[in-house]
Amino acid sequence: MNSERHPLLTIENLVKDFGGLRAVNNVSLNLTEGEIHGLIGPNGSGKTTMINLVTGIYKIDHGAIYFFGNRIDGLQPNIIAGKGIMRTFQISRVFKDMTVLENMMVPALSQKQSMAEARKRSEELLEFALLTRLKDEPAKNLSGGQNMLLQIVRGFMNKDLRLYLLDEPFAGVHQVIKGVILRTIKKMNEEKGITFMVVSHELTTIQYLCHQISVLHRGEMIAQGTMEAVANDPQVIDAYLGG
Amino acid sequence: MSLGVNFIYGIMKVINWAMGEFFMVGAYVQYLLIVLFLGVRYWYIGVFIAALSTFFLGAFVQKILIKPMFIGIIEEKTEYATIVTIALAILFRNLAILIGGPYIYTPPDYAPPTHIGPLPLSGNNFIAFIGTIVILAFFFYFLKKTWIGKAFQAVSQNRTGVLTAGIDVLKFDTIAFGIGTALAGAGGALLAPVLLVYPLCGVIPTVRGFEIIVIGGLGSIPGVFIAGLSLGIAESLGAAFINPSFIDIYGFGLLMLILLIKPYGLFGKPERSV
Amino acid sequence: MVKVKLTYLVSTLFLLIALVLPIFLTDYWIYALTITYYYVVMAVTWNLLGGYTGQFSLSHHTFAVIGSYTSALLIIQTGMPLWTGMLSSWIFNAIISVLLGILCLRMRGIYLALTTWAFAEIVKTYIRMDFEFTGGDRGLKTALFFKTINPLPYYYLFLGFAVLTIIVIALIMHSRIGYYLRAIRNDEVAAQTMGVNIVRWKVFAFMAASVFASIAGTLYGHFTGLISPVSGEFYEMALIIIFVVIGGMRSQAGPVVGAVSVRFLAEILKKWPEVRMVILAAVVILIMRFFNGGIMEFVRRVVQRAKRGERREPVSAYERKE
Repeated sequence: MNSERHPLLTIENLVKDFGGLRAVNNVSLNLTEGEIHGLIGPNGSGKTTMINLVTGIYKIDHGAIYFFGNRIDGLQPNIIAGKGIMRTFQISRVFKDMTVLENMMVPALSQKQSMAEARKRSEELLEFALLTRLKDEPAKNLSGGQNMLLQIVRGFMNKDLRLYLLDEPFAGVHQVIKGVILRTIKKMNEEKGITFMVVSHELTTIQYLCHQISVLHRGEMIAQGTMEAVANDPQVIDAYLGG
Repeated sequence: MSLGVNFIYGIMKVINWAMGEFFMVGAYVQYLLIVLFLGVRYWYIGVFIAALSTFFLGAFVQKILIKPMFIGIIEEKTEYATIVTIALAILFRNLAILIGGPYIYTPPDYAPPTHIGPLPLSGNNFIAFIGTIVILAFFFYFLKKTWIGKAFQAVSQNRTGVLTAGIDVLKFDTIAFGIGTALAGAGGALLAPVLLVYPLCGVIPTVRGFEIIVIGGLGSIPGVFIAGLSLGIAESLGAAFINPSFIDIYGFGLLMLILLIKPYGLFGKPERSV
Repeated sequence: MVKVKLTYLVSTLFLLIALVLPIFLTDYWIYALTITYYYVVMAVTWNLLGGYTGQFSLSHHTFAVIGSYTSALLIIQTGMPLWTGMLSSWIFNAIISVLLGILCLRMRGIYLALTTWAFAEIVKTYIRMDFEFTGGDRGLKTALFFKTINPLPYYYLFLGFAVLTIIVIALIMHSRIGYYLRAIRNDEVAAQTMGVNIVRWKVFAFMAASVFASIAGTLYGHFTGLISPVSGEFYEMALIIIFVVIGGMRSQAGPVVGAVSVRFLAEILKKWPEVRMVILAAVVILIMRFFNGGIMEFVRRVVQRAKRGERREPVSAYERKE
């Protein structure tokens, strides 16, 4: 548990094109270990694409991504996950025909944890997330908010988790569950030093939660810094109000 | 045939494995019509009626079987569609044997054999060829020029978007399915004197039809033409230069080749995942 | 815990019955059951690939055919002993299945079905076309496994292999591999982000299922003494699917139950082959439309009701481990 802060994730001049559309245009970003970083921006600004690029689901066209100093762009998503980067999806992608518990076990098993160990950890985490009652329920029976919560705690099953990318974790989620999610993020950040990057439209929540914020607009990084700094940036205001 | 399957796929993202059976139904209907009612002179009316009947049969099937896929009852869509249409194919085939007997019926010729210059030409093949062109022409006109056709194009491009434009997608699905099967039925009726009419007469067209689809790419209508032509060329070339008894293989050979280079066929569109 | 014991009990019971059955049966029925065990293997292994991993392959029967032909031809052409021919055939099949699996990696449901369908047709057509080499439509005579036409030793051979297959597939599905495969079926991309190596496991599923199919095929070939491209017809594949769907697609016992019961029905209705196909096809359609889980789903619900009174608590389909 060292308290030294060094760059965990370095994104340099990232470019991603989809046919004629440049979704990510020369974006650079640094995440220091232990921070909770917010990524905001109007719809279609490329936030989800960024996450997809970091986790290896899309291939980058230009630029580089470094994790703890090692290049990770071009690697398969499952290898990147093995290095300690997890993510959630905007529309919750849980394994619908598997139970909540089984969902939890997948990331652990893929890391070669034993079945028993994985089960124990799953139950602990489910307890923490107040989902124990549902553990044998097929995931398809869960409500939207519960699904999101499941998605999020599922990521914590990764023993080596250092960076967690959350894509709109609060969207359409019940207040109570939102509270659990917030509590979880803070706790994991403070106790385990896990770095978070949270994409969201809920600016008040972002302000409460995040240390630093980046703003994307039309695939470009237009501002970075604390919420106060960013909120007063004319470019940002323009982006949100203009279009 | 391929057109029908591709059309249905474009609209509903569902492959109908039972298309051959609609072809067969068309052939049977045509045969019955000619023999019992119309007489050979009016074979083209027969084709039309055959197509109409397969249209309704297809629409009916779609309504009870396929539609539920889209209104939220069925979960595993592609699996469901594949299994159900395969089962349907088997159902129809065996039903045909039960009802009509395992016999081969020979409809009378649509036109007598003629000659083009020194080359003999089967009247039936000629008719089938012309007939197909006519039908295809109609289809294209329909697709490109009429507003319904354009609506179909819209549906195949964006199912949800169309909803907001006020189009009843589900009803379009039914009609599309019906059109697809009508195409198959028309094919069956046209080719009745060439391929003859028997319960399994839909099998070969299915195989050929799917070959064409894989080569040309799912969901692509121009692909069907290019693929159909390529298939024909490949087969003839292979038969001429390598070994005529292997003729069926050449088509498949071409197929595998294309698959290796372009897994989605020549014009197919891959599906986006995230 | 009680559930698990019950399953073992029932399975052992059925096994005992199967072991003892030949005493009471005529040669014809013994033969029929032997063929049924072949189908059990095909159904169970296809379920691994199609039902659990979600790779809806339409060329499963093709691997059985390739298996039987490769083995038979190797023996005929090179005079090698039976076991060498069979083993070589299995290895050959494994390689082909891996290649096919890799080819199909990026394909979703429909494309996968089409590609495997094409593969199946190609193989079948080839066998028919190259008749000088393969015997074509006339069929090919094969060496017999046991030097006898008495079906009894084959009965136990096939039964043993079927049991082995069931156990192996069950072990796979209960292990972490089972989790990976199910995750892949549910959501490939999400599975990847959870660390599952989808390339490795998709190909693995293909290979495992196909190798078993090829073993079944070689055994079948050296049992019946005559193989023909008819076994490569789409009809055979449709049968396998029928077995699995009627029995229950995502359970361990489903394919077994499906294969046995449908075969039984088929034998009874032998006189009216078309009627039975119509009935079977209709049943499949009905099951898919209304009752997606086949016989095993039905059984599960009955057992649930019996054990918990009338309390309708939804339970995971996978809790009942067979």
